[in-house]
Amino acid sequence: MRILELRLLPTLAVGRLGGSPSPMDNYEAVVDPAHPLEHRQLIPAETFEVNTRTGEIVRVFVPTKVRFTVKNLVRPVAPFLEVWARTSPTTLVPLTTGLLRSNKLSATDVSWRVHVANLKLTRRTGEDNDRIEAETSDITDHSRRELRGTCINFWKGKYLPLGWVQYIKPTKDFPEIRLRFTPGKGLVYGSSRRRPGSGLRRDPNLADVLYNGRHANSWLGHSDKNSDPLTTVPSPIYAHTPSDRQNSRGYIDDECDGIVEVSLNAGGNVLSAQARIGAGPPHYAPDSFPVRTVADELEQALYGPVISRSEADPDKVEEIVRRAFETVRLMNTAVLNGNVEVKGQLNLSSNMVAQDNLDTNRSSDPVMDPALVDNLALLNLHQNVLTALRSGTAPWITDVLRNYDEVGDLTDVGRRKMPALMRGADGRHLALTRRQIDLIRKVGQGPIFSERPRPKKGNRVSRKRGRP
Amino acid sequence: MKIEAKNLTAQLLHRARGNPPSTLANSAISNCFPGLEFDFRNIWRRLFVGIELHEADNIVVAVDPRSPYKSLLHHRLLKVADQPTIVPVVGPLDGGTGRAVRLTSPPDNPDGVWTLEWSNAMAAIVHKYAGRKTRVRCEFTARKAMNAVGLKTDTKRKVVYLRVRSIFAKNSGGATIPVIDSEAVLPGELTQSLCSPWQNDYRECLCYYWASSRPDYVNVELDDDGVSTGNNWLSLKREPKEYFLNAGSPALITYAGLFREWQSRLRFIIGGRDAD
Repeated sequence: MRILELRLLPTLAVGRLGGSPSPMDNYEAVVDPAHPLEHRQLIPAETFEVNTRTGEIVRVFVPTKVRFTVKNLVRPVAPFLEVWARTSPTTLVPLTTGLLRSNKLSATDVSWRVHVANLKLTRRTGEDNDRIEAETSDITDHSRRELRGTCINFWKGKYLPLGWVQYIKPTKDFPEIRLRFTPGKGLVYGSSRRRPGSGLRRDPNLADVLYNGRHANSWLGHSDKNSDPLTTVPSPIYAHTPSDRQNSRGYIDDECDGIVEVSLNAGGNVLSAQARIGAGPPHYAPDSFPVRTVADELEQALYGPVISRSEADPDKVEEIVRRAFETVRLMNTAVLNGNVEVKGQLNLSSNMVAQDNLDTNRSSDPVMDPALVDNLALLNLHQNVLTALRSGTAPWITDVLRNYDEVGDLTDVGRRKMPALMRGADGRHLALTRRQIDLIRKVGQGPIFSERPRPKKGNRVSRKRGRP
Repeated sequence: MKIEAKNLTAQLLHRARGNPPSTLANSAISNCFPGLEFDFRNIWRRLFVGIELHEADNIVVAVDPRSPYKSLLHHRLLKVADQPTIVPVVGPLDGGTGRAVRLTSPPDNPDGVWTLEWSNAMAAIVHKYAGRKTRVRCEFTARKAMNAVGLKTDTKRKVVYLRVRSIFAKNSGGATIPVIDSEAVLPGELTQSLCSPWQNDYRECLCYYWASSRPDYVNVELDDDGVSTGNNWLSLKREPKEYFLNAGSPALITYAGLFREWQSRLRFIIGGRDAD
């Protein structure tokens, strides 16, 4: 089979920070179809153990328990990226040493480059010299490379540790070509106007002081201007002093995102592929998933806002309802509804009621009737929605969904549309993607649910890969 | 094992062997504001070739100095292919009669409008124009506008036709592949507008729309009145079970606690309860 093209999968891999030397094991988040609103079960799954010295996978095993911490340290989520090869007009297969051999190539003909950055400082100060970037040279061996984020405005010799990458050494048992990204430890770093080591008083919040804050327009002391429309939205979102000016304390984290590129030199013909990586916080409720995800954004960008009838899959609608509930279940809905008082305490929380008032001068009324929004009462509401969907009596659901261009409707009727009590990327009440809404509407229009055989109680759903 | 080359969703959501579900794009939150894993609004900043938009507003924040659109800096994009990028804001005014009115808030927003998120507002435009040679009609404010501007029919506009950039890369054969294009988004830009450091936001932002990554209400059960009772996720102690509405309460993890000890202080929540 001739290698025609490379792809690097997944095309967007999320790493998650953690200080434990032991990366997070694999697991499945499984839905019980007979109890669709029960918590997903976390079941240990096939995990690779990598020898970071040799770069080889030395063991594949299924852990006895899913553990997210070890010795009070969070286990980082360290994704593998696999190289796939297109060997026909329609098919991708894993790139292995065997496939390389059949093309008279070897694993040494593969090279990698990684470029990640933390631009949080630059985004605020506008200074190019505040860019923190780590870029590797060509990686063709299997040693573990530290991603050292350098910055012109760092003190001499200092760098921001942004994690590691390692080209996994293929073996007879694991002949696939892959790379592992291990994100940083989740430490906080800082800034100073005096050179570190020159009698600088130690800030116990910091792992190290990296940034030289002596110059003009420094990150240390930076203040977002209230009236500047070019600042982040919202602003200011950085650790700052309690003063009115909200001056930056100069703190820096080890989050980053960037590009991994793999290349294969096939006799002078270089094939290459890219994927995106990022490092964010842990998934603290790993049996819950957000109602609107990055995958939803990317699918809409790929395929547009309208789905075909053949794509109108009731299981996908059920998954959206489930995820909405998984978010609501972990929110204090009485507080987020804007109830004036909750269990005898005055509610001054930053919820959509407060945001509407702050952003638009809307009156500060609760969104729903305060008596209806207790967290446990909403469990029953979502259960009823699922029951209606499954019985084919759910066309009303489409009427209560918020359209993307209805976010300015802050009347009582407008604010009570679904999803309720959550904030969208535009800062107003959340609307689903147009593609999600079209899916729900198309499914709601048809008799699909009533015709669908339901699994018997107690049967467990198959462990689908890709979509939890 | 095979994947169809044209199945872009399968490539986007491919679970590489050994990867847990939290590595995938469908575990990452997109109703960001300011988000957690990414601020995904940033993928739209360079949607139109030659200009750069704010990720959350319709103002032009930068222009390509080589492009003919240099004069658009700090103008506002009001319509694309005749589709508005803004909507009016209506509702009962604070201290008003209870009747729905246009919610204006001078001086920042005298016209009472709100910029739609790019992802939804541009979805049909992207589908029709992205990566193609055909340019799309864009209507900008006639003047620089640092504050929000509404769609007044008598207002003059600056009309230009812009190319729409593909958010996704193409392979050597010209087919779209589901990788965010390296010219559309540079390394670091997907996280650039998140909180610095991220730990700060777990205390600073008291809104909880990202419950899967930053839970709010945990260990919930029925109390004697038949309503729920539970802990703030940030509570230092779980007993007695109480939800603290005062963000400054000493019963909650402090900023310093988050910076120094987030790994031991923040609890994983499984089945709605502390995992250990």
